[in-house]
Amino acid sequence: MEQFVQQFLNGLTVGSGYALVALGYTMVYGVLKLINFAHGDLFMLGAYLALSTTLTLLAAGVATPWVVVLAAFAASMSLVGLTGVFIERTAYRPLRRATRLAPVVSALGAAVVIQNGVMLAYGANYQVFPEGLVAVGGWRVAGMTIPLFRVAMLVVSLCLMGILYLFVQRTTVGAAIRAVSLDHDTARLMGIDVDRIIMLVFLIGPALGAAAGIMIGLYYRQIHFTMGWVYGLKAFTAAILGGIGNIPGAMVGGMILGLFETLAAGYISSAWKDAFAFLLLIAILVVRPTGLLGERVAEKL
Amino acid sequence: MRKILVLAVVAVLAVSVVACAQKPKEKPTIKIGVQEALTGDWAYEGQGILNAVNLLAEQVNSAGGLLDGRKVEIIPGDNKSDAKESALSAQKLINSGVIAVIGSYGSTVTEAAQKLYDEKGIVHIATASTATRLTEHGYKRFFRICSSDDRQGLCAADLIVNKLGLKKVAIIHDNTTYAKGLADWTKKYLEERGANIVFFDALTPKEKDYTAILTRVKAAQPEVWYYTGYYPEAALLVRQAADIGLKAQFMTGDASNNPEFVRLAGVEYAKGALITTPPQPADLPYPEAKKFLEDYKAKFGKYPESIWSLMGADAFRVLVEAIKQTNSDDPGKIADYLHNQLKNFPGITGPIEGFDERGERKGSTYEVYTVNDQGQIVPYKK
Repeated sequence: MEQFVQQFLNGLTVGSGYALVALGYTMVYGVLKLINFAHGDLFMLGAYLALSTTLTLLAAGVATPWVVVLAAFAASMSLVGLTGVFIERTAYRPLRRATRLAPVVSALGAAVVIQNGVMLAYGANYQVFPEGLVAVGGWRVAGMTIPLFRVAMLVVSLCLMGILYLFVQRTTVGAAIRAVSLDHDTARLMGIDVDRIIMLVFLIGPALGAAAGIMIGLYYRQIHFTMGWVYGLKAFTAAILGGIGNIPGAMVGGMILGLFETLAAGYISSAWKDAFAFLLLIAILVVRPTGLLGERVAEKL
Repeated sequence: MRKILVLAVVAVLAVSVVACAQKPKEKPTIKIGVQEALTGDWAYEGQGILNAVNLLAEQVNSAGGLLDGRKVEIIPGDNKSDAKESALSAQKLINSGVIAVIGSYGSTVTEAAQKLYDEKGIVHIATASTATRLTEHGYKRFFRICSSDDRQGLCAADLIVNKLGLKKVAIIHDNTTYAKGLADWTKKYLEERGANIVFFDALTPKEKDYTAILTRVKAAQPEVWYYTGYYPEAALLVRQAADIGLKAQFMTGDASNNPEFVRLAGVEYAKGALITTPPQPADLPYPEAKKFLEDYKAKFGKYPESIWSLMGADAFRVLVEAIKQTNSDDPGKIADYLHNQLKNFPGITGPIEGFDERGERKGSTYEVYTVNDQGQIVPYKK
């Protein structure tokens, strides 16, 4: 029983990380019908920028941990958001009228640029976050140790997802985003500045990915310029699992993927962990091709 | 307008032809390839090995080169820590006319390139690939300058059963050629000595969260657990094990014999870990080693961090010795010399007794190290 609870909690935490990154994929797909392959590397960039911020602040003598952490979040999320906007302007907007394949290739190119740029700037080693920034202890509950920070990660992720959900469902701007993901031209007819909305999506999506990156960096402490690839792939899987283009779908997909993967690795075989994740994807898509929460959208002629 | 263009082109061509004719004939260089991970996951180790070889090549060239004034040219090949890229970069090196290749770190990438070099008869010396399989394919010009995994497995089994007196062992690997090989050998030698393997499975490298597998290990209640994979995952495992309360003795293989392991895990978590490994650069008592360390520091500003850079250096040195002694750059003659005539060469990593008919370096270099309370990796004394 103890094992099950521990694995369950592990799965939730891992899943919430996937969910945050999956949100970025799904939002961009929603408005642009484009899989932004550079997204995983934006997640990685978020972790690296947070590292720079924490190191700079600590060197400047700022001693309070939570100030450093908050500053890292603020700086990294905004910078990565801006990077997202920049990528959109340079790599995707010029290709908006081109074939569907061109922006995808462009996205792969952007991914390579970011990855190697980080390697050249920071070096080929694994980088490590400094100690003492986050609570290291755990609660002892019924003979199990539940690490504090995992719970914190889960809570922060859920809050961010909740805020995004409310933003998209309850505000005018959110409505505009939903309108643009349905149809660009009609939205334009309704008076919505489509370019602005797309820019906003590229600001929010990558920022959420960066938040996930920062938390991963703070908790596991070890980051590398290649980590975007694996994580991005899993998050992309989660987004598809939940229904690509659907925001609650990304959240649900991420959690389910994380849980299933962890429980399967915990009870069946750890070596086949990735295989289980993708088997789940195949199984769900066979039964529901549009993903768990995806809707059948009539194809435009 | 067009006439002027044509005249200009002709003029340029004429000048370049004349310029070519004026250049004095330089002797052809002796091309030696270094195929390592210059980018990707193992860039850190690969770049160190390349630095070591470049340093020595410079020394040879400034002393007058080899074979009557020919310069040694080091051609780097980047295998990007990936097997597919390894095959591609091997092809590129072959096309550029190398007579020998030094590389690589990582048995999987070395294995991908071995066959290509063998087909063209190029001498291939592996620097940091310890999977025993590599010398069992029968490639006549393949050599290994480091010791192989079955000897490391033996060292590990001896440590656990004889020195520590423990019986319940958990083994984790990551499905790479090296890690799985080491895990299998250790299991074999442990079972021969009557130990009980309570857990044996693989994790997926390059992820961050290993609590799933660690929770299972904890449930199996081992007295010691041995991770045979690479240092980034080892660092993560050690931290996460502490998080979930896994208290057994942690052991790891030579891929974690690297200060990075301690840096990534944090001294608090890494201390007390046992590492089976060839000796550390700073612990080598040989004068050649000390001279090499100082030369490296003078050129690159820091000491080489891991033993693998020194293995790369030794690979280059035996090649140079073979070229000098056979007075030729023919790969066949070099391979023959290395197999049959190289005896007790003073290596940086220890006296190289020679290579056996499979290309294995004779003798074994494995010892046990531990991480002390200050985070340094030092020889283990019981």
